[in-house]
Amino acid sequence: MPDCDAMRENMPLLLTESLDPVRRELTHQHIESCPICIAEWSDYKETWQTLEALPEIEVPARVKQRFLAEVMPAAANTNVVPFRRGRTARWLAQAAAVVIVGSSAFYAGHRVTPGTQLTPTPAQVTAIQQAMPANPYYSIAESRVLPAASISPQIEGRPDIQNVQFSDASPTSDQIGVSFDITSHVTVTGRPTDKSMVRLLRYVLENEDKESPSRSRAIDWVRQTYSHVGNPDPEITEALANVLRNDEHQGVRIKAADTLQSMQAAMTDGTRDALVGALKNDPNPAVRIKAVEALAKLARSGAALDPDMVDTLRKKASQNDENVYVRVKAAEALSSIQPR
Amino acid sequence: MRSSIRISIAALALLSATQLFGASFATNNRVVREFPIDPAGSVWIDNPFGSVDVIGGDGNLVSVTVDRMISAPDAMAMKEASDGIGLSFEGDTKVRLMRTVLPPGRNARWSVSVNYVVRIPRSVNVKIGSKLAEHIRVSHVNGSVTVNGFSGTLIMEGVNGASAISMVNGHIIYDYTQRPVSKAQVQAVNADIDVYLPANSNLNWVANTLNGDILTTFPVRLGRFNGTIFHGVIGAGGGPTINTETMMGRILVLSKGSNSSDAQSVRQNRPNHQAVPNDVMLQPAQKIQMPFVTGDFNFAASVADVTVGEIRGNCRIETGAGEVELGAVFGQCNVTSLGGPLNLGDVMGALYAHTGAGDIIVRAARMGGQVTTDGGLIRVIVAGGPMTLRSGGGDIIVRQASAAIDAETTSGDITITGDPKQKSVKVTARTLGGNLVLNVNPRFAADIDATILTADPDVNEMHIDFNGITVRREQVGNKTRIRATGKINGGGERVELYAEEGDIHISAQNITPIRLATPKQ
Repeated sequence: MPDCDAMRENMPLLLTESLDPVRRELTHQHIESCPICIAEWSDYKETWQTLEALPEIEVPARVKQRFLAEVMPAAANTNVVPFRRGRTARWLAQAAAVVIVGSSAFYAGHRVTPGTQLTPTPAQVTAIQQAMPANPYYSIAESRVLPAASISPQIEGRPDIQNVQFSDASPTSDQIGVSFDITSHVTVTGRPTDKSMVRLLRYVLENEDKESPSRSRAIDWVRQTYSHVGNPDPEITEALANVLRNDEHQGVRIKAADTLQSMQAAMTDGTRDALVGALKNDPNPAVRIKAVEALAKLARSGAALDPDMVDTLRKKASQNDENVYVRVKAAEALSSIQPR
Repeated sequence: MRSSIRISIAALALLSATQLFGASFATNNRVVREFPIDPAGSVWIDNPFGSVDVIGGDGNLVSVTVDRMISAPDAMAMKEASDGIGLSFEGDTKVRLMRTVLPPGRNARWSVSVNYVVRIPRSVNVKIGSKLAEHIRVSHVNGSVTVNGFSGTLIMEGVNGASAISMVNGHIIYDYTQRPVSKAQVQAVNADIDVYLPANSNLNWVANTLNGDILTTFPVRLGRFNGTIFHGVIGAGGGPTINTETMMGRILVLSKGSNSSDAQSVRQNRPNHQAVPNDVMLQPAQKIQMPFVTGDFNFAASVADVTVGEIRGNCRIETGAGEVELGAVFGQCNVTSLGGPLNLGDVMGALYAHTGAGDIIVRAARMGGQVTTDGGLIRVIVAGGPMTLRSGGGDIIVRQASAAIDAETTSGDITITGDPKQKSVKVTARTLGGNLVLNVNPRFAADIDATILTADPDVNEMHIDFNGITVRREQVGNKTRIRATGKINGGGERVELYAEEGDIHISAQNITPIRLATPKQ
């Protein structure tokens, strides 16, 4: 884009909030509409934030003097009329300044405060896995006891360790114990069909309560993931059924019922019971709609429906005070059923 | 020569084996029984699979003929079926129960049909249970008749006693050979109901259907609707009540000798009818699929699935239930459904959309409007004008809000993303159970007033990616109120957010604007 160069010149000034309002607005608008400049702007901001995070180091007098002599040879002479550089030249100078200041500060920071991490990184579980060849499983547990030999001597990142307690683990030997709570970020990778992954997701669906991401987001993710899997594990549908039965939030129950609809192949008796229960008793009509739609789909697929299910559909279809769409869908489900 | 004979023999053997494998086994058995019964006694027949014929006559005997037909792909399945399927005759002269006994865990490899022909004294009461029947016929019975079936054709012929019928699918035919003298209660889900009455009949008629029509060749007096339920009088009145109710089917009441093509709809021919809000339920059901409407589109139906690709004028749709899907609407758009999802495309004029239950998805509401569901998700991709969004339970998502948004859900998350081209937009969002996320660009300016009311303040948090916000916490009863107020980027339109038992996140991020294609006029 022809404007890009000019806009990039504005970026350092935008960072330092030195642009006038009109140019600031123009620059922002351009950045938002230009994918190249968005990337450029993100890099600028990242650099700026990194610089802000650096400790302020007194630049050695000799280095300062030499730098000023290079950049502003006549800085001391106040009678000199300032030279107005061209826009490109100014941008280059600013960029150079950023680079020089950044690299010198980074260099100095490393010399002065060795071992300081600029940005905390998540703890790496792989380190523990490598240290425990005898037990290749990483156990996600509420509390664990680990021998020191199984812990990697290298602590990676800056894990948040709290509530530290020291103990003499075994008075008869020279063993000591250190207990603590640790907040670490764990990423588990695997195929959606891996049993460990299924169990983990089931746990997340059934036990995650009001934590981020919320349960409804977890359901969204499960739906996206398992809609591509031909035959999702029944444990997933059972977990969704439990959400449908127990979650107090209607929005979450709607999503659970909706997701179950897309997982017909993995439906268990418990799952079907949960759908029938939702159709019978859920106060939210949208939940009942999703439940009856799931049952209708099940009936259309030729699956055998138990008498309780048929009876519920029959009652719903004839229930005058029920939402008309629920009644219609119940009737539609019944029309697909072949008695067996 | 020898080898060709061998080949021929092998081919013949193979052919016979193939035919043997492909063959199916079938067997027929007949059982005939006779039992005495009291004139006021009852006969109960429970036959899940097969037809039932009950014929009233003289005498004091119940005469039963049962034909059992089993088909199976192999001898083993045939044996299993033959051993497992039995007939049971129980009871005494007061109640005779005859039933087909099936094995509890049915094998799908065999099928059975058991047909009953039962002759009874005409004063006897009859009760029939059935699942899948080619037909159930009850004729010339003066006692009461109860039928509970799932699928098949039910024929009631010359039944003068009281009757209670409940079917799901199939067809119900009532043929009165003389004026009705007893009440009849006919309930179905998907079945059509046909009633043939002598021309001089006197009765009170009640009819109810959601999806079908109510038709008759009789002049009906004092006809009135209560919701979808019709009440009327045939003849002089004072006779029994015949109640005909089917959810999805059609109800036809014919005078004997008249033609069904002469039947008039009582739903559509209502003299002096005063319009009431639920009138839409009296419009016949329809299914509409149109690629293009050049002018205005006005449509009303009780149960309808409506799909229209493009409407060049204004649009007004009213349904009792069904799915509505519209592509582009050039004018105003007013869609009201008592239940069912609404999927609306690019609406150029003002939008009003409501459903009694179901999700609402709007691709673009260029002039804004009002979108409400009593339960379900609301998703608006582009809100070009001010919008009011209400859900009785479900998430609300606005992908690009270019004007004021007023969103509220009783339970669910609300996510609103501001138009990056707008420096400030008024937002009012309220969830009574869920999280609230407002995504805006870093330059977004507003007066923020965000409140979380929570029983668990350690879990529910306020995340605001802007400076200049003051956060206060106070105890309100057993809950904590977390309130954040202040101006961001110098202040602007008011942003009022409220979440109960959830997080609030005002996120500053670079947002890529959504561009809408300009429609060809």
